[in-house]
Amino acid sequence: MSYSFKWSVLWSGQSGHWLLQGLLTTLELSALAWLIAVALGILSGALRTVRFTPLRWAAVSYVEFFRNVPLLVWMFFWYFGVPPLLPRAVQDWLFNHGAEFWAGTLALGVYHGARMSEVIRSGIQSIPRTQFEASVAMGLTTFQAYRLIILPVALRLIVPPGTNESLNLLKNSSVALTISVAELTFQTRQIETYTARAIEALTAGTLIYLVLCLSIATIMARVERRFAIPGLIARVEPAG
Amino acid sequence: MKRTLALLLVAVVAVALGAPAFAQPDTLEKIKSTGVLTIGTRTGSPPFAYVNKDNQWVGFTIDLVEMLVKPSVEKAVGKSIRIEKKESTPPTRIPLLTSNAVDLIAGTMTDTAERRQSVDFSLTFFYTGAQFLVKKGSPIHSVNDIGGKRIASQQGSTNAKIIREKYPQAQLREFPDQPAAFQALAQGQVDAYTNDGIQLAGLKAKAPNPNDWEVVGDFYSEEPYGMAMRKGDAKFKAAVDAGLKNGFESGKYFEIYDKWFGAKGEVPYPLTPQVKAYLLKQVGK
Repeated sequence: MSYSFKWSVLWSGQSGHWLLQGLLTTLELSALAWLIAVALGILSGALRTVRFTPLRWAAVSYVEFFRNVPLLVWMFFWYFGVPPLLPRAVQDWLFNHGAEFWAGTLALGVYHGARMSEVIRSGIQSIPRTQFEASVAMGLTTFQAYRLIILPVALRLIVPPGTNESLNLLKNSSVALTISVAELTFQTRQIETYTARAIEALTAGTLIYLVLCLSIATIMARVERRFAIPGLIARVEPAG
Repeated sequence: MKRTLALLLVAVVAVALGAPAFAQPDTLEKIKSTGVLTIGTRTGSPPFAYVNKDNQWVGFTIDLVEMLVKPSVEKAVGKSIRIEKKESTPPTRIPLLTSNAVDLIAGTMTDTAERRQSVDFSLTFFYTGAQFLVKKGSPIHSVNDIGGKRIASQQGSTNAKIIREKYPQAQLREFPDQPAAFQALAQGQVDAYTNDGIQLAGLKAKAPNPNDWEVVGDFYSEEPYGMAMRKGDAKFKAAVDAGLKNGFESGKYFEIYDKWFGAKGEVPYPLTPQVKAYLLKQVGK
């Protein structure tokens, strides 16, 4: 007995509709979580490099606490651990309005914020200290120096690792299926259980993730080339 | 570079041509050569298959395999074998079977005509129906009350499918396994949890406060449980069925049933005369 392929299950019946819905949910989840992650990442990454100790320690605690615990645990924490702490009326409203989606978004965003923070911190620290000293000498406050000089340069430097972390975020969105979010991997398994065609269903899921991630990576490669600062990077130019 | 590419191409073609040669041997042959019968079973479905207070992996279905199926398979292969248990859940059980990771699914799988297109089922070893588990005092009393309510179920179960297709006005939340779904019910993320009646009775019995929970509703579907195996494996199916048949005829099955579902069992659930007649009719009694 060998496996007989039946690729038509991917577009007959409900499968196509499910895959599309799953893809949209994954994109929504990832986009919102990415915004949270970048905001938290820039804030804590910058705070880790300032002289003022209490703020620096706040950023360090955030990063170490959130990135050292597996994402799966955070999913359960935000979905099962947080709601009981809220008032009953808020809980009921949340459960009727997609609590699992928001728990998933927060878990993903806060976890990846901690990881982005390290990427941004390394970008900031690769800028010579003289830049900061020059800004202060010109009369800018620390906050202005970061906002106008340091961060714009740092963000252009960390496009490759930043893209890597962003793609990780997109792929980690699949962990949300454990708290019943109907994203792409959930729908892939749904097709699998309804049609018993595991290989076809998993191939569909794999291809969709692959195409999605490759497109984002290609676009980011263009962005990287466009925004590279010539004097600050070592690059081997292609011949001719 | 050209040579490496050519070698790679030859390797790929060799594997593709050689693939039919890797078509799997039949299960009894596999068991004979390895001496192991691997079963996929549940870890959170009392009393069918679960991890008890003493951290032992036990249950009604596991006992059926150990005491009825194992002797029959040993007789068929002519040597003594060992049982190895792996965890399987509704979304993973058919892939585990088709990928040869397990030989037999012995848990709480419902025998349906649709599933028979991809796997073979043994004789029915249990009969129940789908109901709802709710907190005491809940307004949900049957499947007709679930409109607009949040209902938890396991992804890949027959219950999820029926709610999704026949009662779309209910908000269905599908979880990968029973513990997560029950936790959602306990904390109020959902209003009810749907599963087969006997499994709900088992959850209720094992909950910290059994009196907080109620199993409600008439059966909204019929759920005969069977053990699943790979399709087309006639010799293995014959061995498994022979073991169960022996259990029905000799009365051993009813002893095991009494151990788990009798008055002193984990989850009292008396065998009605109709169900008993149905089970015995399978073996021509």
